[in-house]
Amino acid sequence: MSHAHHHAHDQHGHHGHSHVPATDAAIRLDNLTLTYHRHPVVHHVSGHFLAGEATAIVGPNGAGKSTLLKALVGLLKPNHGQLDLGGLKPRDIAYLPQQAAITRDFPLSVQDAVLLGAWRGAGWFGRISRGLRQQAQDALARVGLAGLGERPLDELSAGQFQRVLFARLLLQDARVILLDEPFTALDAKTTADLLAVVAGWRAEGRTVIAVLHDYEQVRSHFPQTLLLAKECIAWGPTTEVLTPARLARANGVAVSWDDDAPVCHRDSLPPPADTPHDHALHDH
Amino acid sequence: MKLPLWLTGSLACLALAAPAADKLPVVASFSILGDLVSQVGGDKVEVRTLVGPDGDAHVYQPSPRDGKTLAGARLLVTNGLGFEGWMERLITASRYRGARVVASDKIQAEQMAEDEGHEHGHGHDHGKLDPHAWQDPARVQQYVANIADGLAAADPANATYYRQRAVQYRQTLQQLDSWAQQQFASVPSAKRRVITSHDAFGYLGRHFGITFLAPQGMNTEAEASAKAVGQLIQQAKREGIRAIFVENISNPRLLEQISRETGAKPGGRLYSDALSRPDGPAASYEAMMRYNIATLVAGMKQN
Amino acid sequence: MTPYELLWQPFADFAFMRHALVGCLALALGCAPIGLFLVLRRMSLVGDAMSHAILPGAAIAFIVYGLSLTAMSIGGLIAGLVVVLAAGLVTRATRLKEDASFAAFYLVSLASGVLLVSKWGSNVDLMHILFGTVLAVDDTALAFLAMVASATLLVLAGIYRALVVESFDPEFLQSMGGRGAWAHFAFLILVVLNLVAGFQALGTLMAVGLMMLPAASARLWAKELPALLGIALLIALLAAYVGLLLSYHADLPSGPCIILTAGIAYFISLAAGTRGGMLRSWLGRAHLEA
Repeated sequence: MSHAHHHAHDQHGHHGHSHVPATDAAIRLDNLTLTYHRHPVVHHVSGHFLAGEATAIVGPNGAGKSTLLKALVGLLKPNHGQLDLGGLKPRDIAYLPQQAAITRDFPLSVQDAVLLGAWRGAGWFGRISRGLRQQAQDALARVGLAGLGERPLDELSAGQFQRVLFARLLLQDARVILLDEPFTALDAKTTADLLAVVAGWRAEGRTVIAVLHDYEQVRSHFPQTLLLAKECIAWGPTTEVLTPARLARANGVAVSWDDDAPVCHRDSLPPPADTPHDHALHDH
Repeated sequence: MKLPLWLTGSLACLALAAPAADKLPVVASFSILGDLVSQVGGDKVEVRTLVGPDGDAHVYQPSPRDGKTLAGARLLVTNGLGFEGWMERLITASRYRGARVVASDKIQAEQMAEDEGHEHGHGHDHGKLDPHAWQDPARVQQYVANIADGLAAADPANATYYRQRAVQYRQTLQQLDSWAQQQFASVPSAKRRVITSHDAFGYLGRHFGITFLAPQGMNTEAEASAKAVGQLIQQAKREGIRAIFVENISNPRLLEQISRETGAKPGGRLYSDALSRPDGPAASYEAMMRYNIATLVAGMKQN
Repeated sequence: MTPYELLWQPFADFAFMRHALVGCLALALGCAPIGLFLVLRRMSLVGDAMSHAILPGAAIAFIVYGLSLTAMSIGGLIAGLVVVLAAGLVTRATRLKEDASFAAFYLVSLASGVLLVSKWGSNVDLMHILFGTVLAVDDTALAFLAMVASATLLVLAGIYRALVVESFDPEFLQSMGGRGAWAHFAFLILVVLNLVAGFQALGTLMAVGLMMLPAASARLWAKELPALLGIALLIALLAAYVGLLLSYHADLPSGPCIILTAGIAYFISLAAGTRGGMLRSWLGRAHLEA
């Protein structure tokens, strides 16, 4: 059988980072494969997200980045391979998807929308205490929306709306925060303010994983990067991952990927432990 | 439509026997006309009815089967006076080119009356003719004459037979009329007031001197106004009208509400625009009239 | 005519007027909040479609039990529930949106109903019998409406928060394990319940009209959910009261009168509503600042 696609092949078995003890890894991926409508979208990815670190996920369009986030938060089941959350419970993970499904003109006030972040605590019936309301106010202040608590949602600009969603994340008080393209189509000021919030999270020791397109944002705020083009092209410190050579390889993989190839199983070739970047050429 | 068993059997035999000229295939638009045609035509006709027992011809929607039925007929009998609004379309669709009898031909038709003690609104256009002429036995004499003429023209071989039967049936109608006059005479004219759901009994009322009051107009589709209902109730209370009747084709709720408020008990069902099923009290025109009149008289006596 | 004669006497004089008013009140209590959520979730046409969707249920009940109003109502209820829940399931499981799934199912339902009636029903217009009229609300119908309204308010109070979140950001709720699906389905059941109760007691026009028109109007007067609910309810009650009076004094059919009154309220809201009315933008006034 012929190959359906090229592999990113790193001859030297170069690891993006040194061997990391398990306790410092927030989330481990082991030969993870995710499918969407029976097409493999994330392909045999292994590695780990460091706890307390800010990791960016970058790659060409359709590279499976959003799908990976969905799997991390439990909205998708792995088709193959393992996803180890290392003892993290669902309440420890906060997720901000791309905003397709939100009804922007729903008659809620800004504060009500932010208070949704306390859902895990309050649930269907729990009272919203004064303490929680204060937390919401503080969160709004942190994202630069102080005093706008009573404003209805449909009077907000896109930038303001995104700030509200970040304030909601703040209320969720999660150890791990997943962001899917959070700064797309936002003005520079809003992006800068929200990146500051991300920096704040890092300072608090929270783990942040964000899908991003803007390499400047990645370089300035995200020390770790996973370069994904359905397969893991590189995973490690940003300075080592975001090199022109690697980026070109990622684009090459994306371009030559054959979506209609049958899903491959690599049972015959167990992946080497802790060497996520060796992809031997193999037959399907 | 429910055909009596003997007729179904005859039709089955007819289907097996090849020549089509045995029985004259006739289509009647609704059950009352169907019965009249059967009375005059006897066993020389095969009658099919479109709107069957308990059916509402005001809102009837013909089916493809009706088109087929009509296409195979040699005579179509309709009421006319705007009763079958859907008939023209059916005729066009079925390409029927046979003879037609409009039963209400040459009848002195009345309009929906505002006078005659109907002091409430009808919710419909005045200047419209009242099609329910069959409620007056005297007018049905003309119906029968028209039907007999139509049958004789369509089937000249049996013309004498039809005319004979017509004469006989007209006698029956005459007796019916006399009997009805007697019955109503037993009710003093001041008490001859009745409430029903829709104005189908205009001709009956005029012929026998009875006042029919209704919150709705002629059409079962029309909705009542609160004012009309209120006036009706007041009148019923004022004049002590206890005879309240629901018709077999309409929704009984409004009438029941009125009964409750006037303290009257609903007097039973009247058959206005359709016969009952064969096992019911109004399976033929004559049966229907006798039943209606008896019910009316009993109710009016309570006034 | 004295104000008393104009505004209250018809109700004092006639039981059927009082019943009609109370019936509308009971219906409005349940329908106003339901209608509001339907509008917010872009399901505004569900109401009218539902009046067709219940046909096979009523038809089957008619075939089995004859002209029994109870049986036909229950049959209609079941048919409506099947359609609404099936559409809801399909929407959640596939990429089809709510309106397409619902359209598909209600049409299939309607066609099945027509087929059943043609083959095994009678010439009687089933729906004519099943659907009531506002002037003929009797004690049974009132009790029924009151029950449905109470049940609706109770359930809504329970699912309120979940429903709001589910309507606003379902993915968020899903990622929190919030089981928004239950709230969604409970809501759909309430929709069918209110509609069928409304059809049976007051007729389709009244039920759907009182459900949707006040809700559509309310959006032009308020921006917060509690205020919207209150305004929708108020408009529904006013429309019923004014409409009934109009029908009485001007001798017009009652059902259409009430709904047209609600319609006039809608047009007034469109023109003069404090939030999004047209007059305000034409006159170039700024929105109120926080």
